[in-house]
Amino acid sequence: MHVNYFIVTYVAMEAKIMAVKLTDKLLMSVEKPSRYTGNEWNSVIKNPADVNIRFAFCFPDSYEVGMSHLGMKILYHLLNEREDTYCERVFAPWVDMEAKMRENNIPLYALESKDAIKDFDFVGFTLQYEMSFTNIINMLDLAGIPVLGEQRTEGQPFICAGGPCAYNPEPLAEIVDFFMLGEGEEIINEVMDAYSDWKGKGLSREEFLKSIVNIQGIYVPSFYDVTYNEDGTIKSFEPKDPAYPSKITKRIIKDMDKAYFPDKIIVPFTDIVHDRIMLEVFRGCIRGCRFCQAGFIYRPVREKSHERLVELAKQLEENTGYEEISLTSLSTSDYTSLDDLTSGLLNEMEDKKVNLSLPSLRIDSFSLDLMEKAQKVRKSGLTFAPEAGTQRLRDVINKGVTEEDLINSVSLAFNGGWNGVKLYFMLGLPTETFDDVAGIADLAFKVVDAYRAVPKENRGKGLNVTVSTSSFVPKAFTPFQWEPQDDMETLYQKQIFLKDKIRSKQITYNYHDNKLSFMEAVFARGDRRVGKVLVKAWELGCKFDGWGEHFKFDLWIQACEECGIDPHFYANRRREYDEILPWDHIDIGVSKKFFINESKKAHEEIVTPNCRASCSGCGVTAFKSGICGGTEN
Amino acid sequence: MINIRTKFRRGDEVKYISHLDLMKVFERAIRRSRLPIAYSQGFNPHPGMVFGLPLAVGVTSDAEYADFELTDDTLSANAFAEVLNKQLPEGLEILVAKTRKTKQNIMATIAASEYNVLVGISETPDEKTLKQGVQKFLAQDEIFVDKWSKKGGTKKVDIKSMIYDLSFELQTCGSFSVIKLDMLVSAGSKANLKPDLLTTALFAFLGYEYEIERVHRTKLFVQAQNQLVDPMDGIVL
Repeated sequence: MHVNYFIVTYVAMEAKIMAVKLTDKLLMSVEKPSRYTGNEWNSVIKNPADVNIRFAFCFPDSYEVGMSHLGMKILYHLLNEREDTYCERVFAPWVDMEAKMRENNIPLYALESKDAIKDFDFVGFTLQYEMSFTNIINMLDLAGIPVLGEQRTEGQPFICAGGPCAYNPEPLAEIVDFFMLGEGEEIINEVMDAYSDWKGKGLSREEFLKSIVNIQGIYVPSFYDVTYNEDGTIKSFEPKDPAYPSKITKRIIKDMDKAYFPDKIIVPFTDIVHDRIMLEVFRGCIRGCRFCQAGFIYRPVREKSHERLVELAKQLEENTGYEEISLTSLSTSDYTSLDDLTSGLLNEMEDKKVNLSLPSLRIDSFSLDLMEKAQKVRKSGLTFAPEAGTQRLRDVINKGVTEEDLINSVSLAFNGGWNGVKLYFMLGLPTETFDDVAGIADLAFKVVDAYRAVPKENRGKGLNVTVSTSSFVPKAFTPFQWEPQDDMETLYQKQIFLKDKIRSKQITYNYHDNKLSFMEAVFARGDRRVGKVLVKAWELGCKFDGWGEHFKFDLWIQACEECGIDPHFYANRRREYDEILPWDHIDIGVSKKFFINESKKAHEEIVTPNCRASCSGCGVTAFKSGICGGTEN
Repeated sequence: MINIRTKFRRGDEVKYISHLDLMKVFERAIRRSRLPIAYSQGFNPHPGMVFGLPLAVGVTSDAEYADFELTDDTLSANAFAEVLNKQLPEGLEILVAKTRKTKQNIMATIAASEYNVLVGISETPDEKTLKQGVQKFLAQDEIFVDKWSKKGGTKKVDIKSMIYDLSFELQTCGSFSVIKLDMLVSAGSKANLKPDLLTTALFAFLGYEYEIERVHRTKLFVQAQNQLVDPMDGIVL
């Protein structure tokens, strides 16, 4: 018996990590099989025997979406710079592939080695949007990893997560072992070092989590207790041990020029959403739009120098052969050396036949001129995001755009030959009335008038104005975090009202599904208790919820009912300022006092100047970086 | 301006990418290599590359061809291949490169293709029976198959004249057999017979349930002086 036992364990150890077998027949039966076979240019291949740490970097959506994500590109190459670590990519297999995998007992595997990830050291997820959460559960299940943290035992991977949705980590508290809050470039190396110390010593999983809990930015949800009041609000949130931090402060990169950025990125075979070089110009945003979570969680604004950016662009172009470079940031027009950067890039890239694409630019004569030079594409569509239809409401949300700005911009564009304009708005913003909704239609008609005012010989033929409305989802760490979301019926009434107002041949109106926005609102501000709903909804068959054709609202409602969770409590309830919010133990640097003040100013329709115009004292100066006292000042 | 014809291999690692994706792989590899590719004029300049016959997804090949137009007359074909190979992903490799003087590009002149098709059947026919079956199949006056038309639906097409050669090797293993078909068939814009279509027709005729295990292109031919010649042959370069 004893001998047998020995042999069995020996074999099990030898065969610990196994590559999956993907037959031609299987791959030929699914759509776009090259998404599942790896081998792309610049993908990193290592010998697993040479490393100590296997890291599965998971994006809980399709290959096309995940491969377009800049954060993953950075952290993938950063981890692979380590000799002791092999970081590989994992995406959610599309439904046809998943069905085949389950049918043939093929567990979720990593793209580079094709090894099953269930025995990796880490399985890390990036959380980009709430409606990808069921895919996390589905991927863990497909991998053969227990979904709940408490079910996982020694030898199974640690599940970690980061990204914007990690700032309210509570809905995933029972699934994820630890969260990394803030920018991952430094913290992830610290965690790998700690793991390297822990591994192989026969210590418990808890020991490892204890060894990292005091690294700034690490949140281990199982180390905290939550109690609730009778009305369902949170009564207390306490660390189980005073040695654990009671506030978890996010991590930031202080000097963007010195921050790690790969000089090569993977060039996929098949088309992905953003198939180009993404040049990250700066992090953060000076604007402070009150609905925008990104505008607060990524504070302070930290720029890369234009010299460094041109250098990076050169390296990336050389190593990828991409024919397009896109400048990315939350608001590229706010980059202080945009002129130097774009002329430097145009200079460098012109004879290499590389196009420069410039999303999120404010439209003025400078940017139109730039687009003329940079993009050799048809003058079709330009995008504007006034977000609200009236000046009153734009003041409420602190969107510093006036009607005059918009009309001047579109007039310039029409004079330059553009003939398509997309206008983005939100419905259901706090204090919104039907007058504000009507304002959206008025604005659209004024854009049409601006086109008509342009002499025929100057403007492009055939005007096309598209108005798109999304439904406002209040997010954590915004001045609107206490606001109720409009109920679905009200949102629907507003959509119908607007549709009726903009009957015009030149204007197309699109609007989002309110049901999806409602579920998003539940998880955006959910607490630990809504985690049960995620698991239940997945059990009922929910996945790929962000893809309209897969979103099954009825099942979500059924899941809420079966778990005894009232979704309206999370989506449609106004919170008091003194209520303990599920994310109050997370510190993004912006103080709650500032958010309360901003919330009050919103209701008083008072705007707050942007960070460059004057400091409003949000609290982020504590990071002493970028615009708040770093290299910029 | 010079023209270089290349013969390249497409292995298992890259057999699932589409023809369009393959062209993008070459375009980006050439950009990385800084080879002096010629670009077309106009609003949306395209690199001067012409590929032979598109390969179906899932098929490997030892005989893919592409013509490249380059602006540097002093560039040797061998140097071109060497530089480009360094930028090609696993599974793609230029095997031969030669300078081309004739006007006809590879795509316009492709006439025939040779394939190996591995087929599995869960029966164990003997060699002689199979041989007779194949002979009878080929001896038919007409061989009609259902071909998908671009408009949707199928139409009946006679493929008899598109089959130049068909032979097989039989290997029996327990209760099943693997049949390796070697086929030389019409290819190109005038008449094109896909290997799976011929395989389907043959096995329907033989009456065996079958499964295609793999398809591999071994050779490609162009038409010159009324015969099939290798695209690297001096008379077509």
